[in-house]
Amino acid sequence: MSNVLIQCDSTFIDQLEGHINSGNKLSKWELFSMAYEAEATTMSNNFDGLLSLKYLPHVDFLPHQIESATQAIEEMNGRAILADEVGLGKTIEAGLILKEYMIRGLAKKILLLVPASLVNQWVQELHEKFYIPVVAHRKNYAWEQHDIMISSLDTAKRSPHREAILDIDYDFVLIDEAHKLKNHTTKNYAFVRSLKKKYCLLLTATPVQNNLLEIFNLVSILKPGHLGNHASFIEQFGKDRKKLNQDAFLKQLIQKVMVRNTRQNTSLNNTKRNIETIWIKFSQEEIDAYNEIDSMFPSNATFSKLTLLRELCSSREACALSLQKMMNNGANLSSVMEIIGALPHHAKAQKTVELLQQIGDKKVIIFTEYRGTQLYLQWYLQQHGISSVPFRGGFKRGKKDWMRQLFKDHAQVLIATEAGGEGINLQFCNYMINYDLPWNPMRLEQRIGRIHRYGQENDVHIYNFAIEGTIEEHIMKLLYEKIHLFENVIGHLDAILAELQIDDFEQEVKSIFTESTSAGEAKIKLDNLSSIIEQTQLANQKEKEQHYGNS
Amino acid sequence: MAIANLHLFLHSFFTAHQCPVIHNEGGVLTVQLTEELDKALMNRPFYWHYVKSTGQKGKPMELTLITNPEKREEKGEWIHFGSPRLQQIIRYLKTTEKYTMLFQRIKTRQNTELHPWLVTNIKVSYIGKQKRDELFSIGLNLVNGSMLTEFMKQLEPLSFQSSISNFCYTIAPLIRLKSGYLRIESVLKQYIENQEQEWANASHQALDDELQMLKHFYTDKPEEESNQMKQEEEEIRKRFTPKVRIEVINGGLIYIKKQQLQQKTNSG
Repeated sequence: MSNVLIQCDSTFIDQLEGHINSGNKLSKWELFSMAYEAEATTMSNNFDGLLSLKYLPHVDFLPHQIESATQAIEEMNGRAILADEVGLGKTIEAGLILKEYMIRGLAKKILLLVPASLVNQWVQELHEKFYIPVVAHRKNYAWEQHDIMISSLDTAKRSPHREAILDIDYDFVLIDEAHKLKNHTTKNYAFVRSLKKKYCLLLTATPVQNNLLEIFNLVSILKPGHLGNHASFIEQFGKDRKKLNQDAFLKQLIQKVMVRNTRQNTSLNNTKRNIETIWIKFSQEEIDAYNEIDSMFPSNATFSKLTLLRELCSSREACALSLQKMMNNGANLSSVMEIIGALPHHAKAQKTVELLQQIGDKKVIIFTEYRGTQLYLQWYLQQHGISSVPFRGGFKRGKKDWMRQLFKDHAQVLIATEAGGEGINLQFCNYMINYDLPWNPMRLEQRIGRIHRYGQENDVHIYNFAIEGTIEEHIMKLLYEKIHLFENVIGHLDAILAELQIDDFEQEVKSIFTESTSAGEAKIKLDNLSSIIEQTQLANQKEKEQHYGNS
Repeated sequence: MAIANLHLFLHSFFTAHQCPVIHNEGGVLTVQLTEELDKALMNRPFYWHYVKSTGQKGKPMELTLITNPEKREEKGEWIHFGSPRLQQIIRYLKTTEKYTMLFQRIKTRQNTELHPWLVTNIKVSYIGKQKRDELFSIGLNLVNGSMLTEFMKQLEPLSFQSSISNFCYTIAPLIRLKSGYLRIESVLKQYIENQEQEWANASHQALDDELQMLKHFYTDKPEEESNQMKQEEEEIRKRFTPKVRIEVINGGLIYIKKQQLQQKTNSG
């Protein structure tokens, strides 16, 4: 092996002589031979295979997770994009890969960059599942001080952290939510590229959203030149993301750096989603109030009117808060306020209690769009002897964890206003009530993703509330049911919206309502929108080969 | 010679450290730690600092370890190959039990001559795209230069102590420890040279491929990016350049009765 460097142990023998001469710290035979046994136990006998599995007998890994980790190490040599669909356990795969490199002694200095809201969750998972003693970066912590540190990209890229981090030679760098790096002109991108790193994992559920260059940029962090250089890439493939499915060569190249599992090709299909729409009737007083607001504004619907109607469908508290704000700005709305104030308990709240009693003593998450509704519901449930804890996106990290724990150990119900997109995992719960529906289907999918994800052992039950004869009925019937959103999964919708270049779905729906002169017109436009989505869905299904990554 | 029985291994570890065994049944082991092991394992430096500063005698903790997975719900720590406690014990062993000097324990009434042997347990790591280790135990007779492999295995049936037994006397080494070690090292190097090198070739190949790609990536880039390119080149070299590392796990000087070991392998 003439072309291989051999590093010798230059200190041992001198040390031994020193110890023998001084008679200091000489081992007993039992312990001496135990140290040898220990080494024989922990060494890596083979180049291939995952040693880490033996070290983690308390975790049940899914076959696709083990395969992905093996592939990232053995075929991609530790530089890979992990692009599983949401909820399939990218974190688990990443943990397994990191653990393997640590056991083999190939990774010591490690940096994990994840969204601020996910830091605690990462720390917890790495500790509990992988026994990896990761330390969350706090003020005044030196980056050199701990071998394994985790922080948000936003903190890391700022001075003075930036300089300190760029000075360190990392063995292993991981970036979660790496789609934030798809644009090569951003500071985030430049920062990550300039990190000194040996192994590197990029985690994202949506490796390509709009533009084929995004994947070029991600790959160029891991393997510059793998997809050619910037000019040659554009010349050969253009920017059209559809090329990804059409161009076999490009697909093959990408498969060399990206692992992507979809729900369709994994065993996660085992837990089902049972989705039920629950139609609720307003009481006569509520109908009157709804009509009052509807007729109060000029014939062409305004944004305020839309908001108030939606809020009334949720709770009088939510509606009253907005009315109060408008009155503070000088609007004369005291008559409406009076009507609202006189309303009985909300039809949905009553239905909620009824449903909770049916469900029994299982844990349930209720999602609402409004703070007012959240407060009201908490009070109303308490009146009926049902314990609940609130959850908001704006909570500090510590409080979020605390609320999650309270829910897990003590309360029956969690009332949340914000899925938090990248928030908490609640696999221990498998009932969800969507008290009111967001107008952005992606947000709904994120909500469901909180419970229908890796680690969920039971079928999940999702109840969607909608009030008959209101704006909710339009949204439910014309949008959600038509595009079969509830049966489908996020990966696809995500791609479809990108393909249609719809950046902000909610905005799209809002403008349909506000720009239409009549309810009929709004209905037609909404119907058109969902038809386009439906068509694209069908077209994509025909293409069959949906997943472009390795699987 | 990997750990065959984890429970026995732990039991031996604690008894070798003079920790009284309080309970040992059905895969559950409770020991009273000594001060030394408490400090090494229990991670409570402030307690020991406090004890010392108040001039009191500290009270080391008891430790309950469960090696039987069926009892993992019982009070105590479930120990398996990946558990942090075992890893900690293993790390402790590797750092504290590195050097030794021992004499074979012999019950005799006749004058018995003990020969000096240099024992070295050595890990050879082949590091390329992936990594693999190989463990050697080599003994070198410091009088006649003969060398034995699987040395620990040969020593296993014997017993050793840190002082010389009655009626025994030692022969002075003719070969210095250091030159003995260098002989072992050169034999090992020869062995490594003769190994199949497919893994190294594959790593070289990957290295070349990635460097080529990198050059191509920068063909249309302006000069200012050359630092970035240099760094990336460095990263690629670090990740793929194959190398072999020789690391001594532990070793020492052991006096063994003449003709006790089977001289079956190469000498010198």
